Amino acid sequence: MSPNDAIRSEDIELDFGNGAGIFDQTYSVPEGTILGMIGPSGCGKTTTCRVALGLLTPQKGRITTLGRTPTAFRAEDRERIGYIPQQFVLYPRLSVAENAAFVASLYGMPAGQVRSRMDELLAFVELSDARNRLGQNLSGGMQRRLMLAGALMHDPILLFADEPTAGIDPVLRARFWEYFRKLRDEGRTLVVTTQVVSEAVYCDYVAVMRKGRILAVDTPANLRKMALGGEIIDVTLDDPDDMRRAMETLRRWDDVVKAVHRAPGGEADLHVVVDDAREWLPEVLNRLENQRPRIAIAGAAPLEVSYDEVFIKIMEQDQQRQEAQGG
Amino acid sequence: MANAPQISTGAATAPAGKVHIPGWRRWLIRVRAYCLKEVNEIRRQPLLILSLIIGPLVVLILFGSTYVNSTPRVRTAVVLPPGGIPGVDIAQIQELIGLNFDLREVTEDRAGAEARLAAGDLDLVQVLPGNITAALQGEASPQIEFRSNAINPLTEGWIQYLAYAQVNEINKAILRATTARAQQEAAEIRLRITNVEGQALELEQGISAARKQAAQEDLRDLAALLDRLERALPPQEVLAAQGGEIATLRQRITGLQETLERLDRAIATDTLGQTLAEIARARTDLQALDGTIELFVNTSPDALVSPVTQSYTNIRGGAYSAVVYYAPGVLALLVQHTAITLGALALVRERLMGAFEVFRVAPVSLTQLIIGKYLGYTIFIGLATLVLIVAMVLIGVPLLGSWLQFAALILLLILASLGVGFLISTLSGSDSQAIQLAMISLLLSIFFSGFFIALDSFAWPALPVAYSIPMTHGLAGFQDLMLRGVAPGLWTWLGLALIAVVTFGLVVLLTRRQLRRA
Repeated sequence: MSPNDAIRSEDIELDFGNGAGIFDQTYSVPEGTILGMIGPSGCGKTTTCRVALGLLTPQKGRITTLGRTPTAFRAEDRERIGYIPQQFVLYPRLSVAENAAFVASLYGMPAGQVRSRMDELLAFVELSDARNRLGQNLSGGMQRRLMLAGALMHDPILLFADEPTAGIDPVLRARFWEYFRKLRDEGRTLVVTTQVVSEAVYCDYVAVMRKGRILAVDTPANLRKMALGGEIIDVTLDDPDDMRRAMETLRRWDDVVKAVHRAPGGEADLHVVVDDAREWLPEVLNRLENQRPRIAIAGAAPLEVSYDEVFIKIMEQDQQRQEAQGG
Repeated sequence: MANAPQISTGAATAPAGKVHIPGWRRWLIRVRAYCLKEVNEIRRQPLLILSLIIGPLVVLILFGSTYVNSTPRVRTAVVLPPGGIPGVDIAQIQELIGLNFDLREVTEDRAGAEARLAAGDLDLVQVLPGNITAALQGEASPQIEFRSNAINPLTEGWIQYLAYAQVNEINKAILRATTARAQQEAAEIRLRITNVEGQALELEQGISAARKQAAQEDLRDLAALLDRLERALPPQEVLAAQGGEIATLRQRITGLQETLERLDRAIATDTLGQTLAEIARARTDLQALDGTIELFVNTSPDALVSPVTQSYTNIRGGAYSAVVYYAPGVLALLVQHTAITLGALALVRERLMGAFEVFRVAPVSLTQLIIGKYLGYTIFIGLATLVLIVAMVLIGVPLLGSWLQFAALILLLILASLGVGFLISTLSGSDSQAIQLAMISLLLSIFFSGFFIALDSFAWPALPVAYSIPMTHGLAGFQDLMLRGVAPGLWTWLGLALIAVVTFGLVVLLTRRQLRRA
């Protein structure tokens, strides 16, 4: 943990009973980064945010948000935080501009500031043309963008967005992440929850959650390495009969190769696990082709494992760990 | 992917780089935020505004222009005994019964009339007895049978009252006829009294045996006439109500009858010489009775039957028309119902849509939330009330009292009603439940505020309910200010203030708990 962390959480626990709640949560969010909280529905993402926002009081542990215990927030602390809840809570009978102005006024912004800020933000979320349109006449995507604009009206330095991309199309989802990264680039800290695992790629840090626990929190690349034990080189042999010899050769090189196994569904494919796939790819090929008789390679490349697979792997590992502990 | 424009400022400049805004100004900005939001939301619902303002006004005008009578129309059939009532024609019956009842038919077919009553074609059947005229002779006590099929307790009450009034009128008519007949007989008796008085004088001075016999016959004739007169006289209560001489008429007749009887016996036993004092008293009694009868005969039968008459003056010159009289009630009902309906939806809707969560994250306090909402709704309802008042003034509803007090009372009524509405909102689990509770409050107000049924009509357990309704106090206050031109009583102000304060306290308490759970 660093003194520049926007959020620091140590052993936080809030038990709702029947296994619901959050448990042993230790994590930190450095200033100017995006933390993505990824996990299935009901895994405690929203509760984690609510504790960090001071809406819920933990039973155990210690948490500070912007250097202060959230339950002891003063008005000045709250003025530095923005929040996009899961539900669309903007008002259907108010126009886009009125909705945004309402939220800004809750943060004590005078009318003059609201006007100039609103022009800027509506342009940012591409709602300038719809500023007089009523909330009830907005599409789902526009509503989400309006909520983002509302949450940014008072210029917060820390933004919590609870599943902002849920139920919207991939194009808009990508645009949202573009907004978030721009905000991050301006120095803001963002905590974004999502069920869409592939969105991990947009985050600086990802917390993988399951049953109220943070299974892992790290950069997306490190999470991938952690899940798979390293990076994978996918090798396709010219002759499937060379498979056994190739695997034995690579296994003997155990200071670099962490694991070798047949690729699922491919007769001539094998997966080689190394620390850095791009760095060790030429060496792996040399080792195989230098064998006598030579092992001919049809093709080889670093394997791009999807975050879905990484996520599933981490979940499975946690499940196995729990079963092992239980056994 | 489209390139989104950059936004300026950012974490590096926030919040230190922002313009400093004093705390009090931020407080006002937040209150104004809620207030403006409520006003903007309402003004986007023109149908709601129309139904809240124009609706009650149209109902009031419709009511006032079509209301003609508070007594119900009772469709009535009169059943006569077979052959009718001797001496009474149908026109007389129609005139008498048609005063109070909507007389649809006069028939001798009782079974048919009762069948129509049972079928709902008639509301009342009156069965007249055959011996109704025998009451004139005091020979019977006839009874008129009233049969109704009313289902409305108020209508039944009216029918019973009108039946009573009708029977009373019939009884008075019978008394008038009886009295007129007695006066006629009394006039004849006066001649005989003069005659007997002369004979008593002769008896006193001594007369022949033949004259004695004639005198004895005259005495007996007079006694018989007096007997008839006594029987023909109206009941003693009627005579007693006249007071003075007439009240003693029956007593004088009885006294004279006894004196005449003693004279008769004295003549028969030839002991007149021993009864000179009786003869002298008989003469005095005869003179006194003559005077009394003269008074009786010269008094009109109406004065005898209805000695007390009435005089009525409305010191205001007259009561108001129905539309004007009910206008303060409609105004109070409109203000209360609008406030309760809007208030009932205000908090529950935001709670359910998740806005409380946003409010908790934002640096706003519960007080700012509640005050902002009170302010927004008060402004809207105040404007709506102003429009309604202008419309009422245009249709002739007066405001005789102080405008300042009137405005203060409206403000207090709005605040108290909003308190009730917000309380409903905090207690409701859904929009529909809030609407349901608002409708129940409307129903309670119509029954228990004194709008249509006076509070005196209820037993005491209903009074706490009645006084906990803002409209009860608003109605009383508006009537005082608008129609009587006097200041509302202290309890009107205190009642509204108490409801406003108690509901505000409860709303703050309950909303704080709900915000904590958000």
